[in-house]
Amino acid sequence: MKLAQKWLALAGLVAAPMMLVACGTSGGGGNTATGGSGGGSGTMEVDIGYTGPLSGGAAFYGEDVLNGIKLAVDQINKSGDITVDGKQVTFKVVSLDDQYLPPNAATNAKRLAQQYHTPIIFCPHSGGVLGIEQFNATQQPNFILAAYTSEPAILTKNDPLLVMIPPRYDAYFKPFAKTEMQKFGNRLGLIPTNTAYGQEWTAGFTKVWQQLGGTVLSNNAVDYNTTTDFSSVVSKALSEHPDVLFIGGPSQPTALVIKAARQQGFKGGFVVMDQAKFESMQGIVTMDQLNGAVGVMPTVNYPGPGIQNFVNLWHQTQGADKTPNSENALNYQTMWVFAEAIKLANSTDPKQIMAKMADAIKQVPAEDQPYGVTGITPQGHLTGPVIATYIDNGQYTKLDIPPIE
Amino acid sequence: MDEWGVAMTLLLQEILNGIVVGSIYSLVALGLTLVYGVMEIPNFAHGHLYMLGAYIAFFLLTSAHFSYWPALLGAVVVLVVVGLLVERLVFNPLRKAPQVNAMIASVGVMLFLEALAQAIWGPNYLQMPTPYGNVLHIGALSVTQQQLLVVVAAIVMMVLLNLFLKRTMIGAAIEAVAQHREGALLVGIPSGRIAMLTFAIASGLAALAAVLVTPINLLFPAMGTMVIMKAFVIIVLGGMGSIPGAILGGYILALAESIGGAYISTNYQDLIAFAVLVLILSIRPAGLFARRA
Repeated sequence: MKLAQKWLALAGLVAAPMMLVACGTSGGGGNTATGGSGGGSGTMEVDIGYTGPLSGGAAFYGEDVLNGIKLAVDQINKSGDITVDGKQVTFKVVSLDDQYLPPNAATNAKRLAQQYHTPIIFCPHSGGVLGIEQFNATQQPNFILAAYTSEPAILTKNDPLLVMIPPRYDAYFKPFAKTEMQKFGNRLGLIPTNTAYGQEWTAGFTKVWQQLGGTVLSNNAVDYNTTTDFSSVVSKALSEHPDVLFIGGPSQPTALVIKAARQQGFKGGFVVMDQAKFESMQGIVTMDQLNGAVGVMPTVNYPGPGIQNFVNLWHQTQGADKTPNSENALNYQTMWVFAEAIKLANSTDPKQIMAKMADAIKQVPAEDQPYGVTGITPQGHLTGPVIATYIDNGQYTKLDIPPIE
Repeated sequence: MDEWGVAMTLLLQEILNGIVVGSIYSLVALGLTLVYGVMEIPNFAHGHLYMLGAYIAFFLLTSAHFSYWPALLGAVVVLVVVGLLVERLVFNPLRKAPQVNAMIASVGVMLFLEALAQAIWGPNYLQMPTPYGNVLHIGALSVTQQQLLVVVAAIVMMVLLNLFLKRTMIGAAIEAVAQHREGALLVGIPSGRIAMLTFAIASGLAALAAVLVTPINLLFPAMGTMVIMKAFVIIVLGGMGSIPGAILGGYILALAESIGGAYISTNYQDLIAFAVLVLILSIRPAGLFARRA
């Protein structure tokens, strides 16, 4: 009896901090100003919402997204260019931490909409987006959901107030598979991240790989955030003699997988999921170790009209040693589109803003488009040139990704 | 290589990988079990002391331009001091309060340390430099110098800790308090000072483990949460407060993860770890090395 009580207590102890962590969502912002309400004569403040990971293992990712939005807001406010009803608009970002958890994201979104009247809320993960899509257009107050996730499933929910920011990942499947199969062979080993996103990517990609005549080996999905040493899983995957390894999760752990594979003598190629960015792997792997990898093009090499301006701006504002990534750049560019749409709509009503998105895209100054944005699909996906890269002899060579919409 | 050779190579490689990870698990679990044995506190902040140790070493390596070993030593010294402070400022004032207060305080320390690290060093992943990055090939097996270092250093530390506990008066006093707090008090052992010392040793061990393993992995504010859960599993598996239990438990868990990952599924690595826990507890309900009833 005594023993049983002890165990019960122990189970409670182990569970307690987890729950505390889960409840400990801290609010950013914390002001009580309401978006859309008038300030002094001739000006008004509009709050832009953000819910994403700002603490825990994915905090760096959430900060990257947030910093892109914040920089755009600073630039837009400085330009003084956006007006509604003759009043000059000042944007303000209200950020809430959801620790990467979908239920927290949904709660935060409701709070942002009700308390701050944010016409637009950014969310950088598919789980959160799928949750928020259930109510952002149907429950009052409405808001536009700015989704920074490449998961194509979010486009199938018929959400009229959805804006999907990055390229959808299924566009990469065929070009990636063809490139690697041609260069290295048709045996594909799998070490993907075991998140929902990672498993969807894996399922889609392996299907295309098989359609092209390739062989898919066993799926060694691992948790990229909690694995202490990747040697073990890499040994397992390499024991099946793959020609190509399919990998990807957060950039830096992905780099550790590449490093472990090369250290164990793997000579083949890598297919790297779009969550991982080569520029963030610098310092962990050498360009030599990256040879033969296919993945998304580093932001500084993107051929958008405003890339140079953006990189300079980033260095000026964030520090000369900081390299901007796609989280920074794509959210920056998208915030500009929203600002122009608010100006054209002459309103902060989400439906009216949404109606002006296509026109607004044409109004965004070229220098503020690091990636280039050309249009928006009826499902709400922003389109633009999509370029990936194949690393050859330590150089990023260009790989065009044809659109699939 | 024939099929048999490939299979053997994989098995040996996975055992090797398991021993590397097991060394780290054991070092972290040792500190946790020491503190539990002496103070009966499940110290949830232990993983975050480990994280802090890694950041201190990173700072010494990159900003103060120490080389690897002085940085390791520096981090251990700093964490010993931090451990003393935490014991004095947080746990000592609560020693007469119900046990749950100390437990909640340890969660508070954990949240505080993570927020502190994020405020100082930012949320990004950092890479700790090491002079031991080369790969050694032993037959068909491969291991990096750093991985070997982890294994050797962990064994040396375990031997030293054992000598300290068994052959010195202070060590014997720690064991005495762990075995029977009131009895130890009756024979004149200052349990307050022993608690301080234990906390300091545990924090130092955590720092050592962190500085050894971080060059293989990455440095980030939440890195403590991933080892602390494993460490709790290990000390439950080994017997709460048991030192040999923590060492053996660490290796058992890591080997179960790497071999289970290889032959069952990597996707279920954590599940395998908990299955091992359930299995061992169903045979020995108080853990491998249960303390006296």
